[in-house]
Amino acid sequence: MPEIILKNVTKKFGKSIAVDNLNLKIEDREFVTLLGPSGCGKTTTLRMIAGLETPTEGEIYIDGKCVFSSNEGIDISPDKRNVGFLFQNYALWPHMTVYKNISFGLENMKWEKDRIKERVIKLLEMLRISEYSNRYPSELSGGQQQRVAIARTLATGPKILFMDEPLSNLDAKLRMEMRTELKRLHTETDSTFVYVTHDQLEAMTLSSKICLLKEGLLQQFEPPLDIYHNPSNFFVADFVGSPTMNILEVKGENVNLDEVKLSNGKIQVLFIPKSSSITVQDGQKLLLGIRPEDISITENGENEGTIYSTLPSGMETVVKIELDGLILTCVVFGGVDFNIGEKVKFSFNSDKNILFDKKSERNIASGKLI
Amino acid sequence: MNYRNRLRSFLKKPHNIILVSLAFILIYLTIIPIFTIIIDTVTVHQSELMRVKGSRVGDFTLYHWGKVLFSSASRKIFYEPFLNTMVVAFGTCFVAITLGGLVAWLVTRTNLMFKGIISTLFIFPYIMPSWTLAMAWLNFFKNSRVGGAPGLFTALTGIETANWFAYGPFPIIVVLGLHYAPFAYILIGGILRNMDANLEEAALILKAGRGRIMRKITIPIVLPAMLSTFLLVFSSAMSAFAVPAFLGTTVRYQVLTTQMYRTLNGLNPGYGYIMALIMIVIGVLILGINQKIVGTRKSFTTITGKSSNISLIKLRGFRGLFSGILLFMISLVCIVPLISFAVESFIIEPGNYSFSNFTTLFWVGAGSPDIANSEPGILRNATIFKGLWNSVRLSILVAFFAGSIGILAGYAIVKKKGSKLATLVNNLAFFPYLMPSMAFGAIFLSMFAVRRGFIPPLYGTFALLVLVGVVKYLPFASRASVGAMHQLSNEIEEAGIIQGIGWGKRMMRIIIPIQKSSFLSGYLLPFISSMRELSLFILLVTPSTRILTTMLFQYDEKGWSQYANAINLLIVLFVVISNMIVTKVTGASIDKGIGGQ
Repeated sequence: MPEIILKNVTKKFGKSIAVDNLNLKIEDREFVTLLGPSGCGKTTTLRMIAGLETPTEGEIYIDGKCVFSSNEGIDISPDKRNVGFLFQNYALWPHMTVYKNISFGLENMKWEKDRIKERVIKLLEMLRISEYSNRYPSELSGGQQQRVAIARTLATGPKILFMDEPLSNLDAKLRMEMRTELKRLHTETDSTFVYVTHDQLEAMTLSSKICLLKEGLLQQFEPPLDIYHNPSNFFVADFVGSPTMNILEVKGENVNLDEVKLSNGKIQVLFIPKSSSITVQDGQKLLLGIRPEDISITENGENEGTIYSTLPSGMETVVKIELDGLILTCVVFGGVDFNIGEKVKFSFNSDKNILFDKKSERNIASGKLI
Repeated sequence: MNYRNRLRSFLKKPHNIILVSLAFILIYLTIIPIFTIIIDTVTVHQSELMRVKGSRVGDFTLYHWGKVLFSSASRKIFYEPFLNTMVVAFGTCFVAITLGGLVAWLVTRTNLMFKGIISTLFIFPYIMPSWTLAMAWLNFFKNSRVGGAPGLFTALTGIETANWFAYGPFPIIVVLGLHYAPFAYILIGGILRNMDANLEEAALILKAGRGRIMRKITIPIVLPAMLSTFLLVFSSAMSAFAVPAFLGTTVRYQVLTTQMYRTLNGLNPGYGYIMALIMIVIGVLILGINQKIVGTRKSFTTITGKSSNISLIKLRGFRGLFSGILLFMISLVCIVPLISFAVESFIIEPGNYSFSNFTTLFWVGAGSPDIANSEPGILRNATIFKGLWNSVRLSILVAFFAGSIGILAGYAIVKKKGSKLATLVNNLAFFPYLMPSMAFGAIFLSMFAVRRGFIPPLYGTFALLVLVGVVKYLPFASRASVGAMHQLSNEIEEAGIIQGIGWGKRMMRIIIPIQKSSFLSGYLLPFISSMRELSLFILLVTPSTRILTTMLFQYDEKGWSQYANAINLLIVLFVVISNMIVTKVTGASIDKGIGGQ
């Protein structure tokens, strides 16, 4: 049961705080992504769990065993944590062949020659790089190098695998391919993956749980779709999703028991919370978030706007609509296009719109708009 | 985390241990000696008892400072040599940078012919001992006015050379300039080669002329490198001893180093230590200025672009002429001196170049009572072989320790990049570079003449020579190693850490093999340098620890120039051939040690 627990982990570099009092529990066989903009401390977190970086404070447990504790002075070296690490630049040893790169760690564990050979061949086959076993890293393409790096990491059979933006050096097509591979690998190897990326799409598509960080602080730690639909605050809502969420600055006013009237100069809508009732002060500044796919262009829509721009990609078209100086982004599925300047009708027809408090940026409620 | 735990986890990392121990050792070997030198400048030494009236050895006195700086004799003792040193250093910089910069520009930016051979041969004067050219100069141009036999030039043409041409500042500047021109060539050439050609092409697209690009783009970009070259050449020229000793002493042209040698070896060690201290201060100032320049925003030295093929400037009709002249001049400087040594070592009566005067006596003769106190020819001479053996042994040991410590230092410095400790060690390891060799020798003389703590008096031992060589040449090795480590991503090592590969194995199997040619350069330069070093060791050798270079100097002082020439030929050949072999076999090169790319 290799689970990973972080307790009050803090890392300071001089005066700047890279990771601030982080608490995290990663369950066995999860595929967890550490997500956030650059400089948010995600790589630092990963390196601390792996033992490549020493936390300033806190405790880390792997598989029930304390591997780091600032109070008790425990700091187990990386190799004794039984983990694998896949580096951003692969870090293949340029003076060793593919075979040697993979076997080196095993030789070091004093495996027998035959057993090493067997293991390396199995890995080469698994990652479909058998024909390159005698080549040097510089003679391989980026994608092939990536596979070698994975094989090397898997060689010693770690139950936990750490990956630091492993796909960021690949081109778009290869990246898609490798995502599929990684997901397959996750099931095949039956191990826990912790993955760092700044690409929200990668995090959404790959992980079973996303850990979103901002400036060293944990924002939300939940499965991707929960994060998408129920972001804990404005930052999360804005960071996840492409095209990004529409944000309207509005003022709120409680009406009819549990409905909120939102107004912004010209526009006025009624917000009906999905669950419990909410209270806002009159004139409280709020942010209304509407996902682009929740705006639908229909002939009988109750609002009318002008087409500002369109970006058709074949499968879908991203349309920007101007409405009294406001620009709303919406997504229309299927190969449709509009003319710029054309008048269209649209409506807000989902119950997943989210209301944030402007000051605290916290998620207040989600609900319907009428 | 409490302090004990923090300390424990700090010391678990090998690079921290390396940094801490290096910091201690280097402070002990470079900073503390400066204090002992300061004390020496205000102490009465044995040989000064007569001058400082009524004093005992070890008494405090301001006599030396007063005499050197504020007395009627100060002009002769200090100010004149100081001025001469400045003249020589500035002159050398001018010659070296003009020449080196010009050749660097020709090789990297024009369609010069014979580029390969020119750049190989041009490095030669730097590999050869600095006095090689000085001796060659004397062999050719010495005149009979000062005494002794005239040189080859007079013998061949019958024209007596003028004193100013044969001795003193002019030949010293020319010879040192030629010796350090390769240095400027390597540094400036490295920048020119690595400078992103797009920068120049962008200006070309904007319709800037060649001349304007040169003035407005190229020169401003290489300027910091040129300034840094200037400072390094300046400090090297300032601390040069052998060349002024060969070319200046005959006409009593003294510089600080020769003056220091005289006083330290003579009756006034106190004076010598004051001069050493002043030279160290100038050296440190230069280091400070250099770091200021390299550290500021205006420094472009780290620019590395894709060196796409910039269109080379066509020399048109001058191409052949230029290339020919350059190649001829360089060959002249590289090969003719060697021939002159060979010739000089085969003649009995100096100055007489007729065939009947030729002999093999100085090479294989058994020695005759009427010549040089029956000293046998150098190939049959046990003392020479002892010296050769000492030189080789010394160079190998110095190279081994300096190179290995350099690798560790570079590893640890880059690992802890940016931390105060790493910066301290980096500066400490570079510090000896700017200490004039002679002053550095003086430091160790002052420091280790007596017992220091658990270290017995080392003066007269071979170990002292090794120690001083290792510290003095550590900068070469640590620079090469820092450069190599910078190119290696940290992940390469971490990939090994994760797999449980121990530190020793990581170094031996991963890090060192990947950068082996750079690391080997860190061994090569200390090796060559100690093989041809004179001024660093000259104060520290005793008859039993004599090395080839100091023997050469002693033979020359006695006027046995044939022996000196023969030994010189031996040293040059040894250095050049070992450099060639190492470069060929391992791909290491001295460029990397100096900081060229």
